[in-house]
Amino acid sequence: MSSELCPPYAPFFGFAGVASAMIFSTMGAAFGTAKSGIGIAGVGTFKPELIMKAIPVVMAGIIAVYGLVVSVLIAGSLHPSNDYPLAAGFIHLGAGMSCGITGIAAGYAIGLIGDSCVRAYVHEQRVFVAMVLILIFAEVLGLYGLIVALLMNTRATTIGGC
Amino acid sequence: MAYYSTYYALSFPSFLVVVIALYLLFTDSGESFNVGRYLEETSPFVWGSLGTALCIGFSVLGAGWGIFLTGSSILGGGVRTPRISTKNLISIIFCEVVAIYGVIMGIVYSAKLQNVPEPVLYTRENYFTGFALFFGGLTVGVCNLFCGICVGVAGSTAALADASDPNLFVKVLVVEVFGSVLGLFGLIMGLLMIGNATEFTVGVSCGF
Repeated sequence: MSSELCPPYAPFFGFAGVASAMIFSTMGAAFGTAKSGIGIAGVGTFKPELIMKAIPVVMAGIIAVYGLVVSVLIAGSLHPSNDYPLAAGFIHLGAGMSCGITGIAAGYAIGLIGDSCVRAYVHEQRVFVAMVLILIFAEVLGLYGLIVALLMNTRATTIGGC
Repeated sequence: MAYYSTYYALSFPSFLVVVIALYLLFTDSGESFNVGRYLEETSPFVWGSLGTALCIGFSVLGAGWGIFLTGSSILGGGVRTPRISTKNLISIIFCEVVAIYGVIMGIVYSAKLQNVPEPVLYTRENYFTGFALFFGGLTVGVCNLFCGICVGVAGSTAALADASDPNLFVKVLVVEVFGSVLGLFGLIMGLLMIGNATEFTVGVSCGF
């Protein structure tokens, strides 16, 4: 049953993809939530009526959801009795890392933008629209990673058996 | 000279790696560097035990980090406004929950580590379970670590906002809830990863 194309250690790389998607996205989301949360709590001290503008926190949470989606998709195709090609393992690793590391970038950007823009909002209310636009552009970095990860995942499932 | 500390820290390990790689290359033993053979030779118990340990270890580290971040702010703010100390214990509990996630997953993972003698251990299913436990434990642990730190920072700002104005606490709590959902995602992924993995079973034959 041993095979050159489907060695028994192929799931190592598949699981590495699952783990990296989740871990790196969580890293970005945690930084975004914490950093923008500091700004939001600071806003509330000066102008309590503005505190419901917790939009950066929501967008950082969405980064974690991107990572969760990719992780669930990759983990769904890992099974001990299926013949799992080593090529599929590496593609899954690449998919997971692409989603995860872009999630770090997006989360980092959302955190810094949220913090500084919320502080500017205390002084000038008209920056709100600009803040939302910039946050969307930062969020879409994570979305690009998700798209590439989904493309790679569909490619991995069409790889032939052993 | 502190500016170059990164160079100092990274240069010696990379030098070692380069020397070892060149040694293997020039003594015609380059084939001894074989990742696949290493993964096949390593016992699945190594991966399983490491994963369980990382799961509980990193989760508790994250919980402790969050608790000290929040607790020091609560205690510091409580000097001038003692009323905040009771209500802000909720933030401490949010951090503690992260450690409980780690304990739960540690118990679930350790149930898979059944005793199997060495000659019949190396089956395809056991390899799968070992890898699943390792990466599942790593995912749960590191996600809980970052969740704990995030909730700790948010709880710290919530305490100080509460000290400034009591109406703000519930509103800043929203940020903490978004932070704590990260640990929940890690828990979900940890369960999903080992969903298909059987416990360590005796192999029918010792080949794959």
